[in-house]
Amino acid sequence: MRVAQARNFVVSDHPLPWLLPLVAILLVFTVYPLIYNIWLSFHEFVPRRRALEFVGTENWVQLWNDTRFWQSLVITFTYFAIALVFELVLGMAIALLLDSDGFGFGFLRGVLTMTLVIPPAIVGMMYLLMEDPQFGVISYLLQSIGLLNPNNPILATASTALAGVLVAEIWQWTPFMVLIFLAGLRALPPEPYEAAMIDGASSFQIFRRITLPMMSKVIAIAVLVRGIDLFRVFDYVFVMTSGGPGASTYSLSLYAWQQTFSFVKWGYGATLSLVTLVIILVIANLFIRIAKVRW
Amino acid sequence: MNGSFSTRMLRTIAAWVVVAVFFFPIYYWTSVAFKHGNDIFNRPPKLFAFTPTFDNFQKVFGISLGSGGITVTPGGGNFYMAPRVWDSIVIATLSTVLAVAIATLAAYALSRMNFRGRHSFVGWVLSTRMMPPVAVAVPMFFIYKNFGLIDTYTGMVLIHALMNLPLAVLLMKSFFDDIPSEIDESAIVDGASRFMIFRRIVLPMAKGGIAATAVLCFIFSWTEFLFALTLTTTSLKTVPVVSSTFVTSIGTAWGNMAALGAASIIPAFIFILLVQKHLVRGLTMGSLKQ
Repeated sequence: MRVAQARNFVVSDHPLPWLLPLVAILLVFTVYPLIYNIWLSFHEFVPRRRALEFVGTENWVQLWNDTRFWQSLVITFTYFAIALVFELVLGMAIALLLDSDGFGFGFLRGVLTMTLVIPPAIVGMMYLLMEDPQFGVISYLLQSIGLLNPNNPILATASTALAGVLVAEIWQWTPFMVLIFLAGLRALPPEPYEAAMIDGASSFQIFRRITLPMMSKVIAIAVLVRGIDLFRVFDYVFVMTSGGPGASTYSLSLYAWQQTFSFVKWGYGATLSLVTLVIILVIANLFIRIAKVRW
Repeated sequence: MNGSFSTRMLRTIAAWVVVAVFFFPIYYWTSVAFKHGNDIFNRPPKLFAFTPTFDNFQKVFGISLGSGGITVTPGGGNFYMAPRVWDSIVIATLSTVLAVAIATLAAYALSRMNFRGRHSFVGWVLSTRMMPPVAVAVPMFFIYKNFGLIDTYTGMVLIHALMNLPLAVLLMKSFFDDIPSEIDESAIVDGASRFMIFRRIVLPMAKGGIAATAVLCFIFSWTEFLFALTLTTTSLKTVPVVSSTFVTSIGTAWGNMAALGAASIIPAFIFILLVQKHLVRGLTMGSLKQ
């Protein structure tokens, strides 16, 4: 009888057995780290005693007074905004260009997916070589048209280093936008366009009044998915600049990681990563509410 | 949209030029993999006119191109990366299997069963996708250290499976949502159990979706950097992490690194082409259907 009951439970309509493995792994790997991070943010590793000690709110006070933190917050937001704008605008422009059944367009769309499968760390390395002041093909091009002073290497000059990293980022992820927007464009109904043509609307008017509004859901989802990753940027800056020169490319994730693993400031690193997490959760959930994105 | 012949021509040319610009870095990187050192360190950069060499691949993978065709000799040295490629393949494959198995079960329940809090549950799964890896990696590093999971396949497989679970769950749910639930209901009337329906009817119908989910999980594990960097130290390393070991005190071995990079793109690219039909749905975590 008990066996039959147990059997019944396993195959029944109750969702628990189906969700259990997922819940277990999510609890262990996300909820536990979250609690551990909160606990850790009130402690700090003391090297001479080789132990964690309770420090109260010291890490949080330090965070508030830490100009490096505020600087990295600004850099992260700047990176996020510039990359998102470029990827959206370029992505939409290229998607409109490629939205055609002409010969070879399917092949071109396939080629664009290539950038998405390269590890970002390796993309960082690619651009490190291409932006090398002496042998890099991008540096050479910019120097020969007079846009770049040979004495100012792109990634070693504070004013251009972030742009140098952003080039890699935008190169790799614009195709992501292109593919998503293309799928959206191809699914649009033809009727509004026919009506607009008859009314003699210009192509800009058609884009502005018909394409953009009908694409709003697609754009919102693309912004959400990409935006989350942009805010956590780590790979490119780690590989290309390690945050430098000075602190001109320190992202929040990189700053948190370095505090923990390079400077053995476990408590402060946890505080920083908690702040990063909270900012992402708040912004992303606000965005989901406002843009009415649904899963 | 159609326009005259000349505007169509113009558009075709513009499209090829734009894609060529995006393809250029991949071409350039691949060309570096086939270059001798002095051709890499040339100013102006050599784009086409260089003598191709297979040395970089020989050093990195032990593959050489002789008169008798391609020969593979396991090499040694710091830059011999075949074992690292193997590590990456094992971790990506096993974490994909784990993530897809767990996600398929959960997604079926989320797609078919009505229970209280289902929407918030989906929201919770989605929000775990927003965790910055650094916020997970730091605590996990200490836990892994205690349990001896640093430098182990188990540790890496678990963390990469976790990383891919939100995507896999939402994606599989969207594929299950496409299969009409009347099929399940009629099978229940015939006396089939839930699990039987899941295994015999729904799973086979969602094959394409499972394949697409698996490919994306594989690629995200293959390209992941922060966890692999943090949770491995010496004996186990993935391809993205070792790319920085080519930077040495006597300069960077660009040719060797490019050989590794170029070769690592190929399998992932073939996989993604196989599931191109579902790619956009996958990239948007199941919310956009093509």
